[in-house]
Amino acid sequence: MNRTLTPSPESFAQDPWKARIDRVFARALVLPLLLALGLLALLLGDTLYRSVSVQVVRADMGPGHTYPFGLSAEAILRQELLAQGYTEEEADFMLQDPKERSALFLQNRVELMWNTHEGPFRYVVTNVYDKRVADFSLAEGLRRWNELKANLQEGERLVLNPWLDQTFLTRPPSRSPLTAGIGVAVWGTVWVLSLALLLAIPVGVGTAILLEEYLREGRLSRLLEVNLRNLAGVPSIVYGLLGLALFVRGMGLGPSVLAAALTLGLLGIPVIVVTAREALRAVPESMRLAAFALGATRRQVVFRVVVPAALPGMVTGVILSAARLIGEAAPLLLVGAAAYVPFAPTGPLSQYTVIPVQIYLWISQNQPEFARVAAAGILVMLLLLSVLYLLALYLRNRFRREW
Amino acid sequence: MVSLEQLKEHQTVRTEPVPESQALVDVRHLNLWYGPKQALYGISVRFPKNQVTAIIGPSGCGKSTLLRSLNRMNDLVPGVRVEGEVLYEGVNIYDPRVDPVAVRRHIGMVFQKPNPFPKTIFENVAFGLRLMGVKGSELEDRVVEALKRAALWEEVKDRFKKESGLRLSGGQQQRLCIARAIAVEPPLLLMDEPTSALDPIATQAIEDLILELKKRYTVVIVTHNMQQAARVSDRTLFMHLGVLVEEGPTEVLFTKPKHPYTEAYITGRFG
Ligand SMILES: Nc1ncnc2c1ncn2[C@@H]1O[C@H](COP(=O)(O)OP(=O)(O)OP(=O)(O)O)[C@@H](O)[C@H]1O
Ligand SMILES: [Mg+2]
Repeated sequence: MNRTLTPSPESFAQDPWKARIDRVFARALVLPLLLALGLLALLLGDTLYRSVSVQVVRADMGPGHTYPFGLSAEAILRQELLAQGYTEEEADFMLQDPKERSALFLQNRVELMWNTHEGPFRYVVTNVYDKRVADFSLAEGLRRWNELKANLQEGERLVLNPWLDQTFLTRPPSRSPLTAGIGVAVWGTVWVLSLALLLAIPVGVGTAILLEEYLREGRLSRLLEVNLRNLAGVPSIVYGLLGLALFVRGMGLGPSVLAAALTLGLLGIPVIVVTAREALRAVPESMRLAAFALGATRRQVVFRVVVPAALPGMVTGVILSAARLIGEAAPLLLVGAAAYVPFAPTGPLSQYTVIPVQIYLWISQNQPEFARVAAAGILVMLLLLSVLYLLALYLRNRFRREW
Repeated sequence: MVSLEQLKEHQTVRTEPVPESQALVDVRHLNLWYGPKQALYGISVRFPKNQVTAIIGPSGCGKSTLLRSLNRMNDLVPGVRVEGEVLYEGVNIYDPRVDPVAVRRHIGMVFQKPNPFPKTIFENVAFGLRLMGVKGSELEDRVVEALKRAALWEEVKDRFKKESGLRLSGGQQQRLCIARAIAVEPPLLLMDEPTSALDPIATQAIEDLILELKKRYTVVIVTHNMQQAARVSDRTLFMHLGVLVEEGPTEVLFTKPKHPYTEAYITGRFG
């Protein structure tokens, strides 16, 4: 091998094997990423596929009554109970007891009908007994469409059912998969998540600022740091146990939105602290020095220079942790999101359920269509997460532009 | 070439020392430690009003440390300890009753690497003024004034309220940092190698600026570039291993250095 430094044409020649190995190596590095993306796409496709089915259904409405427009749903239900032979006291008792009340509203759908034979604008109460005659996967249903259509009985109809439709987003849960909706769970998630972030953002960002800008390398800082890293690694169900002992029982909040929000807030804090610290650490020291040299106090340096500069990173961290919290089911099952809840929360002490818990409950039902309802629920959750990520992107860009 | 033990006993060689009456800053027997490590040894020197003083010396000799001890920026370094006095207009800024934040409002500083805030050009320059509570049209006027004096106005006048300071070129950023520092009209401006990251044209612009600033402010500048020291400064300090070896009028120090180390350094024969 000639290793002199005098250049010759050969010394610049390409070694084909080296180039080839480089190429193979580069491709090998991309492979796992492609694999992961492929699996994700597969999962999404499968969920989408499962969320649509071909069904033969018979709508068994049960006895229905109409009521004048303007009566509240509660008043209608009361009259319905009286008509069924309950005494006034019994009816009032049933409507006041939360459990009874939930069950009543699940069985009796109160709807606004625009065109009934008695005229427009009437409430109709029906006992809901929607019946499934048969349910087919999309492929099979489409293949056998004509055959199924030809064999329909009296009162039956053949439908292509996209389980994720507009009313699915607003309907309350139901014992029948045909009428089950995710509306209540969406509102539950909105309530719980908002309150959880209301707790986690100030505490998390405040802790990060304290650690990064005030304590810096001190002993207290190191102690807190170790604890935070450990907390971030604690399984979320442990937070559920903590929430059950502390908030549900200890503080007597019961299975309420507030107890769930406090539990999820605690769960979110470590992630927010870690990402906010990273965002603060990414602000160059020279920024702080420049502000100090202009005669800023520590507080002014932190709040006029460092925090604004770190804001895009912090916002991203908060949104990522929010995305994680949206998907949490385990701790909330422990702090009381398990029951069927017919109403969206109206305050911090309301009963609630959240999207992942609702999905979990649907999947654990034994009627096969609930798997389809669950698929539709998963799509809703993915949609919500996408909105969050887009929001993160938008906010980041907005802050960038203001610089 | 020289042992620290020998240097520590060294008495600074002074040519035409600055009389006390002309000094804006009077450093007396300043010793400084970073943790256990001593970085400045018994520095005594006066910085005359409305003149430019250059600090030169080999890397690590304590130029930046001396500069930072003039506006108490060293306080931000954990484990730093200072002995001696720095009199600014006759007041010892290391007196325990003195607030370092107040000191820094009187003394501007420009760093080696341009460090504009990630804010608009306007907000960069307005930063110090806002800290002083300046608002409204006065704020606006003084920002524009500072940009003009930093010779940046013509280049940014149509976008300075929208454009981020980070979008400017390196030389423009450094002039922005100078504008930011002089917007509050500090009587003393400290500059730590302000042109070391810049090309010759930007350097020229900033040197012109320093000569202009001299009319109203006192400037202390650290530089590795001896031509620059010769061009812009009235007096020069030569430091070595934390010791002030020699100080005097710039022409004297560059043409007739008295100490052999000074001569070795300015002629480029230094270890
Ligand atoms: N923050 C610090 N912590 C500990 N030691 C420091 C610190 N800053 C400087 N020193 C030490 O003090 C001595 C003087 O440093 P200084 O930065 O003042 O040198 P300088 O003359 O500015 O060098 P240069 O020309 O390379 O900028 C050096 O030995 C350096 O290691
Ligand atoms: Mg330096």
